[in-house]
Amino acid sequence: MSECRKDNLAHFAVTIISKDRPGIVADTTEVLFRLGCNLEDSSCTMLGGDFAMILIVSHEKPFTKARLAEEFRLLQERTGLNIHVRTLHDDEICPVKEEGELCLISVYGSDQPGIVYRVTRALADRQVNITDLNTRLIGTVEEPVYVLMLEAILPDGMTVDDAERLLDNLKKELNVEIGVRTITPVSF
Amino acid sequence: MPAQKILIYPHPVLKKMCRPVPAIDDEIASLVADLLDTMREGPGSVGVAAPQIGVSLRVCVVDVSASRLGKENNHGQLVMINPEIVARQGAALMREGCMSVPDYTGEVERGTDITVRFLDGSGHLAEVTASGFEAVAIQHEMDHLDGILFLDRIVSLKTGLFRRKNYK
Repeated sequence: MSECRKDNLAHFAVTIISKDRPGIVADTTEVLFRLGCNLEDSSCTMLGGDFAMILIVSHEKPFTKARLAEEFRLLQERTGLNIHVRTLHDDEICPVKEEGELCLISVYGSDQPGIVYRVTRALADRQVNITDLNTRLIGTVEEPVYVLMLEAILPDGMTVDDAERLLDNLKKELNVEIGVRTITPVSF
Repeated sequence: MPAQKILIYPHPVLKKMCRPVPAIDDEIASLVADLLDTMREGPGSVGVAAPQIGVSLRVCVVDVSASRLGKENNHGQLVMINPEIVARQGAALMREGCMSVPDYTGEVERGTDITVRFLDGSGHLAEVTASGFEAVAIQHEMDHLDGILFLDRIVSLKTGLFRRKNYK
């Protein structure tokens, strides 16, 4: 939505991480639906044996966090789902619009401590903003391989080649493969 | 004619099957002019289909020659009336967006090499074999003629490298 500022709405961040089973999303959104909440944004996925949900929820004012938390407490009693609610401030509601190139950065190699930290610190130091990230341990017990995939917006003026060069030292130091490619969406 | 306003989903014309053009007359010539003007006007636009400006006819225009991804490999400005894909090969994913579905993008699979047959702006039968970005643009615009949006073709929630099926 181009207009994200809605002064009549109270916003909340809701997080749920629970042992995976069918029905977690339905159980949670049933409560939201009944309360008349809007599901404004969400990202949900399996993590290990858990299902993790991150939701941005809104409701017309007046509406309190206590009301939402109480409903979720009752849900927890019924279903065991553990739900956390946080009130969002006005300056957290609108997505940050960035104009730079969107890249996918892939990092993989023998598992070792510090892969995620070293890569993301190098990016942060150059103002590269991560928009999405996931990691997984693959390979065999004898030869575990760590895979890190992230999407990031390069700051104005930084090219894909610049980003690749920026990570070149780490590539040698950690002995991992690092690739940077543009995934800036094409618009028709 | 000036550039037309791009219609945005849920405008119903975007989900309708478009009618074939029966004959190339002044009305069609004017539609083509409108489509080209609209494409030129849209920032970075590489194609427009008739339903996007509210006309449910099988006409679209594509021109990727000024785009970063298409400038090396293209047929310039294409006016396509009653286009049909007669051959399609290969498949590749690209993250697409659409002027009619603002603020959303998704991974769509498209043929990498296509041959498309159509009537050009002057009514002559033409055939073009396109590849790469131009082929993707043609397929995206032609989908509009069947009431298909890229949302109908999204194949992956994310990069596709992390499909859960492979996760044991």
